[in-house]
Amino acid sequence: MFAYILRRVAATIPVMAVVALFVFSLLYIAPGDPAAIIAGDQASPADIERIRISLGLDRPFLVRFGSWVWDVLNGDLGTSIFTNLPVTHMIAQRIQPTLSLMAITLAISLTIAIPLGVVAAWKQGTMIDRVAMVFSTLGFSVPVFVVGYVLAYVFALSLDWVPVQGYTPIEQGVVPWFLNLILPSIALGLIYMALIARITRATMLEVLSQDYVRTARAKGAGQRAILFVHALKNAAVPIVTIVGIGFASLIGGAVVTESVFAIPGLGRLTVDAILRRDYPVIQGVVLMFSFVYVLVNLAVDLLYTLFDPRIRY
Amino acid sequence: MKRRSFLASTAAVGAALATPRIAVAQNTKVLKFIPQANLSSLDAVAGTQYVVRNAAVMIWETLYGIDANQVPHPQMCEGHTVNANFTDWTFTLRDGLLWHDGEKVTSKDCVASLTRWMARDTMGQRIKASMESLEPVDDKSFRLRLNKPFPKMLFALGKSNAPVCLMMPERIAKTDPFKLISEYIGSGPMKFNTAEWVPGSKAVFEKFAGYKPRPEKGEWLSGGKIMNFDRIEWIIIPDAATAAAALQNGEVDWWENPISDVVPLLKKNANLNIDIGDPLGNIGSFRINHLHPPFNDVRARKAVMMALSQTDYMQAVAGDDTNLWKTCDSFFTPGTAAYTEVGGELLRGPRDYEGAKKLLKEAGYNGEKIRLIVATDVAITKAEGDVTADLLAKIGMNVDYVATDWGTTGTIRAKKDAPSAGGWNIFHTWHAGADCINPAPYTALDAGGDKAWFGWPKSDAVQKGIADWYDAPDAAAEKKALEDTNKASFDNVTYIPTGFFLQYTSWRKNVSGVVKAPFPVFWGVSKT
Repeated sequence: MFAYILRRVAATIPVMAVVALFVFSLLYIAPGDPAAIIAGDQASPADIERIRISLGLDRPFLVRFGSWVWDVLNGDLGTSIFTNLPVTHMIAQRIQPTLSLMAITLAISLTIAIPLGVVAAWKQGTMIDRVAMVFSTLGFSVPVFVVGYVLAYVFALSLDWVPVQGYTPIEQGVVPWFLNLILPSIALGLIYMALIARITRATMLEVLSQDYVRTARAKGAGQRAILFVHALKNAAVPIVTIVGIGFASLIGGAVVTESVFAIPGLGRLTVDAILRRDYPVIQGVVLMFSFVYVLVNLAVDLLYTLFDPRIRY
Repeated sequence: MKRRSFLASTAAVGAALATPRIAVAQNTKVLKFIPQANLSSLDAVAGTQYVVRNAAVMIWETLYGIDANQVPHPQMCEGHTVNANFTDWTFTLRDGLLWHDGEKVTSKDCVASLTRWMARDTMGQRIKASMESLEPVDDKSFRLRLNKPFPKMLFALGKSNAPVCLMMPERIAKTDPFKLISEYIGSGPMKFNTAEWVPGSKAVFEKFAGYKPRPEKGEWLSGGKIMNFDRIEWIIIPDAATAAAALQNGEVDWWENPISDVVPLLKKNANLNIDIGDPLGNIGSFRINHLHPPFNDVRARKAVMMALSQTDYMQAVAGDDTNLWKTCDSFFTPGTAAYTEVGGELLRGPRDYEGAKKLLKEAGYNGEKIRLIVATDVAITKAEGDVTADLLAKIGMNVDYVATDWGTTGTIRAKKDAPSAGGWNIFHTWHAGADCINPAPYTALDAGGDKAWFGWPKSDAVQKGIADWYDAPDAAAEKKALEDTNKASFDNVTYIPTGFFLQYTSWRKNVSGVVKAPFPVFWGVSKT
């Protein structure tokens, strides 16, 4: 097992290298000029060109890429073209809001979606099943920003239960931290819940038709034990897989959610950096996201062994 | 551990965590403000973004400062002496000026700051071109000698147009003028809190205890900048609906530029004030590339102008609220001394599509593709671009509508290549009315060919008008120069003004002292 983990962690290095080359190349060929944005609309073309030179943007691709790779290998993701702040500092500033948002989203999603999927499978064809699947379809269909606006209008603006926007660090109190994140988490989690609920239902339906479930019933096991002890554990592998795959859509959704609720997270940092063509920040954030994604997939693979002892690495 | 003691200790930990740790003392006076855009950098000399300028004028000060009538008054300066022909200037700093790090402001700092600013600003470049020397006389005075009169010196030093002539400590001012500074030490009424800066989310300014306001009443960049807040927090909210909700909910106190879509909602809220923010507004711009056919022929440019309806553009940009826009047969800002309609006849009266078609034919237009670059991520340029696509189709032009973002527009518009080789024919933008009050800050008016702004218009008559304005000894001569410039700009069709529009600002009713200005003026504002 340990050797497997080491192999997988080592395998992230070529993955990261490919991602780095891909992102750098993409940004190099993409139109847009940070010098023009820094200079502002009133600047002359000559001024913009001078700024480009001062930023080193006139250097050949290979020189820029080599210099960036060397810095990354030395643990330096570079400095923002605009703020002059180190990219690592900017990521560090933003990581807590994004991690908090994802953690609460994950907690809410799993808490609601798995029981919902299990109950829908158990009550297949009944009104409960249909309601659960309508909810699931809605979750897929309604865009995150629409859900966000509706939630903000009802719970923040009309009822005044929670703030409309912003983020309170957890060090300043768990309650304000949670109140700031509850609406964005629901908005972001809806599609995730829908995805997990549907997979859980489908997998549970398959498992519930297995012989060993019938045997468990014959031996007098209670419904709760059959559903949550015997069936769910055996249905867990596909569910964990979809939780891992869904993580990518969670990252994508965080970009929109953080913008709608003005949360200073990594999603907004990415969007702002792309709009301004702040190359070092874009490269740093994408590299970090890809690393996290690889780690999440590794965690999913390791969880397989927990739910299915037959799986060995 | 027993169950009860476990529960008790858990509850205690929970309560401790749930109690907010107050990061800012409770009696601290805080103003929460939503700026027009993200504050992504903080150098208003190297960059000309308005949002940067707006933040910078809290941190740094100018030697002179303009009032609401664009008249410069001494600000960091106690005063100056000048000879009769405006070539020998000596400036003296007022007492008690301190940098935010506690050091005294000296003439050496000012000389370095002026030198950096002169490299970037058009007025500064004119001063530099005729400068014989700029040197400290003593710690409080410095002397600037020119070989040509420069009567507009005080306006240049005190204007609010970017690049603003901001004074910085010598070590910071020695930064390459084409590189952004990374240390934000000024002598203005507010200090920048670098530790709390989260670009894209929040910027914090704290009252500078060592600041001594001037005794005069504060007005725009001049007079006593009395701050009634210990902290001003800029909360960047990119989504307009969220910003509107935050303002209505009292989570923020002031929103600089609400978009027109949410204005009716804000007007209905009894807790909010809403009014025109910047009385100098903006002038929409139909920018033409003068280098390539068909618009390298003035007849083609005039053909578009005779068909262009500013009303169409303004309705698309600002909606039906006629308090927010008007047509503007001028390159200069309505309501200011510079405004003149001389030469603007072609923009007035019924639009002449047939005449435009005929003129295009005379200019040799033969159905070539017109590459129209439209930044669709900016509401104003998107609206302008859509109207233009329709207008060009009406006069028989073959439009290649390139939908892109503002960042990409910035790259494409800098290309002098032919449109078929990745260049462009037309793009849209707008110019702050404060930049169109005279030719000095008005880069878009310049018609110096290769060195002019994007589109590279060339007209000796326009350049003469601008030069005459610089040299004008009195108001009458200035007026004449502006009329000549306006007429020459229309004759040349340097660009086509698409109309004049204003924008609202909105603040909660417990906030008072908000004034109309081209930038948010925080001094004099208070909150109950």
